Parts: sequence; structure tokens; C-alpha cells
Amino acid sequence: MQREVGSLPLAPALRAKLVAAGFQTAQELLETGPCGLSKELGISKEEALEALQVVRQECPGDVARTAGGSGITRKCTALELLEEEQAQGSIITFCSALDSILGGGVQLTKITEICGAPGVGKTQLCMQLAVDVQIPECFGGVAGEAVFIDTEGSFMVDRVVDIATACVQHCQLIAEAHQEEDHLKALETFSLESILSHIYYFRCRDYIELLAQVYLLPDFLSEHSKVRLVVVDGIAFPFRHDFEDLSLRTRLLNGLAQQLIIIAHDHKSAVVLTNQMTTRIGQNQSTLVPALVSWLPRCAASSCHSKCRRY
Amino acid sequence: MVVLRAGLCPGLTEEMIQLLRANGIRTVVDFVSSDLEEVAQKCSLSYKALVAVRRVLLAQFSAFPTNGADLYEELKSSTAILPTGSPSLDQLLDSGLYTGEVTELMGAPGSGKTQVCLGIAASVSLGLKQHVLFLDSTGGFTASRLYQILRARAEDGEEQLEALQRIQVVRVFNIYEMLSALQELRDRLSQQVVSSMGPLKIVVIDSVSAVIYPLLGGKHSEGLAIMMQLARELKTLAKEFSLAVVVTNQVTRESSTGPLKPALGRSWSFVPSTRVLLESKEATWEKATTQRVASLAKSSRQPTGIQVELDIGNGDVQELSPATLTQGL
Repeated sequence: MQREVGSLPLAPALRAKLVAAGFQTAQELLETGPCGLSKELGISKEEALEALQVVRQECPGDVARTAGGSGITRKCTALELLEEEQAQGSIITFCSALDSILGGGVQLTKITEICGAPGVGKTQLCMQLAVDVQIPECFGGVAGEAVFIDTEGSFMVDRVVDIATACVQHCQLIAEAHQEEDHLKALETFSLESILSHIYYFRCRDYIELLAQVYLLPDFLSEHSKVRLVVVDGIAFPFRHDFEDLSLRTRLLNGLAQQLIIIAHDHKSAVVLTNQMTTRIGQNQSTLVPALVSWLPRCAASSCHSKCRRY
Repeated sequence: MVVLRAGLCPGLTEEMIQLLRANGIRTVVDFVSSDLEEVAQKCSLSYKALVAVRRVLLAQFSAFPTNGADLYEELKSSTAILPTGSPSLDQLLDSGLYTGEVTELMGAPGSGKTQVCLGIAASVSLGLKQHVLFLDSTGGFTASRLYQILRARAEDGEEQLEALQRIQVVRVFNIYEMLSALQELRDRLSQQVVSSMGPLKIVVIDSVSAVIYPLLGGKHSEGLAIMMQLARELKTLAKEFSLAVVVTNQVTRESSTGPLKPALGRSWSFVPSTRVLLESKEATWEKATTQRVASLAKSSRQPTGIQVELDIGNGDVQELSPATLTQGL
């Protein structure tokens, strides 16, 4: 357990004290114990105890390691990952052209970004997805729930009611055509009320609320483990106005991106983001590009709608 | 700066340490650099014992010089050159990825860095039958795409499955997890534990900037310190265990029309020995293309500015453009 002191997640001031006192590895810290540590560094016993707890968490004991368990739970071979991916479903959008370019639908455990000019249908698509994620498995869906985080205030409940009613009717037609027992059983629970009650809606008015909501989301998701879709409608909107410190904005966005990736991966849900378009004025012409371009690297798929190519 | 402790070397007892500490000598460096006669007098310890302890400590903690010829022999016997799976990229890298070095792939989003990394993993696992460690921090590792690449390169289903088993994927989403994963790898390699991990020759990290970006900037230099910790960890791994380390990085611009430059700043630019910039051939949204252009931005063996064309689809590349010398980055 030769983990270096500099690489442990402790407060910088504490770390500086540790290095100045000559501690190099985590093993030395654990050997010294809290009393010795508080004496050497001149910190209180509680602080020393807290620090040692953090160290113990980061470096699981050798026993755990040799038993095959590892602190990192996200390790596997590519073959196991392949089997997992093949067994995973995707959320259909009810538009076959869109489904085919996305490779079957919106992928779970990945982030998908939808960008487009105003009015092209991004929020509509998100509302459709929030309903589609709830389709029971026997009809080809993932039977999950949805979280909808709205920053622009464009979520219209009456439109969702229309979409949900149409979806239920569609499933009823399929059930009538096939007449299978599990179809009919699933239809009993798949109704307008259940669809609406499984869409969890959050309204965030500025970037602080958005950041807080996303960072608190893992707790919410561990209570509602059936959530398979997280929609953030308007990821760029709160960040585009009133931001004087651009480097802070980049840092916050990158932190947000990593948090969303963690959510997508750990809870096996799809994360869908909508983004606005902005104009990049080049030498001879101007092009429409998604806003906050540095955001793009986090997304597995990014589909762009322009006004003339509507699906 | 190791603290003096009882048992660090024979002859160093607890009372000696207490006496030394009382006189302000706490670490090995303090001990070795102090005047032993004075110390013997002040702490009333025997001079002979102190000299003996110093000799042992020096032997334990100092670095030993080697001469150039020995170093060259060692290098010849321990360095391997791993093919990347794409002949034109190999040509750019002076026949492939060298073990003992850190190679960086940088590019804008969508330029193909993850695809090239998958190609490298497939080539090393299938062609050389060596194990690969893939640290994924962006969630961009898609096993089905890897399978596609393997299917295009090998006919036999058994071989493909074995190749998949040799690639271990660890998902690390923040810097501490990444450091922890690298540390675990170091422990495992230094203890030579016989486990399911066979001979490891390459570590691919996609991407390094994703975990460091949230920490950089602002008034605190903590981000820089952690970044340098990571740099040291990577270089130590590469050198000590003869591994090839491949990392991916983003690019930024000075202003909205300036030239592209690698992210993570000047401090990180000293870490990789070789840097390759990936760009799309025609940057448009309309045409779907798998063509990319790779240019050498930093290398200790080849002249910078060489460009080759790359196809990140299934085909192994071809299209070779004679090396064109353009303005180096």
C-alpha cells in the first residue's frame, strides 16, 4: 500500500503539513495512528482521525485485495462489457430514421446531446423520450422512469398528456393484434396516470440550482432505482448569460459533465441534453454550431437538427 | 524526505531517534547532511555508530549512476515497439509506440482519439497477444465498437473472444480514482502477483484532460499539483515496468480564430515524449467521413510537422500521402 500522500483526497493545507513533516506513503500514516499524527502535525485529534478515515477508505487493506475484491467496482474485461452492452436495451423515439442513426434508439449509460435552432423540436423530442422510457419490456421498451430537469421553462404538461395518450393507444393496438397474455397484463399498469406519475420534474432557474440539482441527483436516483432517463432541457442556457469569469465557467461545465457521466454509468440510465445553436462568424461565411462547443467531448452522440432537415 | 524511524536500518534505535529529534534532526536528509562530529557531541552518541548508520542510509536511499553504454544495452533489451494497427500512424511514430515512454494523442471532440485508442488496444491484444489496461474517464469506451474492429482484423471467433478477454477496462471518473487505479497497477506489477492479468505492455488512458480540467484554473494551485502527481505516476510506470503509456488530451484555442493548441497548459507539455494531433479532413457537419489527418507535434526521433492520413473506419489505413512537411505546431 504505497499510495503517496500527495495523491490522497485530503485538504491542501493538511497535505502540505504532511509532506513538510516527512510522511511519504499512506502506510506510514496508518502506522502512526491518530495520536501520533496530531502531535506531529499540530492538529486536533478529531482532524487526525478524520484524515485517517479518508486514507483507510482510499486504500482498502491488503486482505480485501488478495481476496479478489477491489475498491474500484468499475473494473471488467472487454468481453464482459460486450455482453453487458448487448443485453442492454435502448430507448426508442418512435421515429425510425432517428432510431437508425442512433443505432437502435437513445443508448443507456451514454450521454446524447440534441442541438438545434429554436423551434425545431428539441423539447418535444425530450418529452417523447420521457414517455417512451416507460414502455413495458414486452413491447420493446426499458420499463423505466424519467427525471426531467428544465432550465428554460418550456415543459408543457398538456402536450405530454397528448403524447402519453397516443403511446398507450399504440400499445393497446399492438396488444390487440398479438393477443398475448403478458401484453394484456402490462397494459393494466401502463396508463396515463402511471406515465405522468413516473416523470419527476425539476425546475432550475439559474446555474447554481442546476449544479446543485445534478450533484444531488445520485441520492435521488438511489431512492428511485427505476429511473432510466435523465433529461436536462437547456444545458447551455443558464451558463450563457452573466458569466464574467470564463475559466470558472469552463471548470463548472467540465465538473458537470463528469458528474453526468458518473450518473449515466452508475445508474445505467441514458442522459439526454439539449443545447442551443450559436453562429460562428468565420472569414467568409458564418456557420451554425452548438453553443459552448467545449461541452461536446462528453457526449457519445450528438444529433443536430437544422430547420431544413426535420425528422 | 523520509522521516527517521526505529528499524529503518540496523543500529538506529528509538532512543537514538529521540536524541536526534531533540536536536532538530528528523529526516534522512537532515541526518546525512549534518556534521556528524557535532551531532555526536550534542547528542552524546558514539561517532562510530553514527557513521555506520549514515553509510547504510546512503546505500539505501541514494540513486546510483550508470554509464551510457550500460544504459544503451539495457534499453536495447527492454524496449519494445508496439504497432498501433494502422501502418501510416506507425510510420508517423517511427514504427510504433515505444515502451518506457508516454505518447499523447490530442484533438478536438470527434477527431477520432477514442477510435485510435480502440484500434491500438485491438492491435496489441490480437496481434501481439499481450494484455491491455484501458482507463476510461469519459464513458466513451464502447465494447461493441471494439468487437467490430476485432472482427474486421481477425476471422476466427475464438481469437476475437480471447482478444477481448485480454483487454481490461477500468472506469475512473475523477482524478483520485485514476491515481488509485494506477497505484494498484504499480503494486500488482511490483509484487508480480500471478493473477488473471497476464503480461502487460500497454496502458491506454482516455482521457487525461477530462479528470484534470475541473481542478485547473482559479486561484488555487492544487490542480497543478495533482496534475504533476499524475504525470510522475505515469512516467514512473512507463520507465520502471517498461510499459507504453498512451494518453488522450483535448485542444483549445487562444482566441476563437487562433491556432489549436493542446489543453492542460505548459506544465503538461513536458510529460509526453511524443504528441500527435488528430484533425478531421473537412470539418463539416454534413458529410460523414472517417478520414482523419494526423500530424506530429512533438517527437524526440522524427522531425515535427509530418502529416499522414488515417482512416478510423474498419479498413486499415491506406492512402498514403508522402510525408508532407508543413508548419510545425
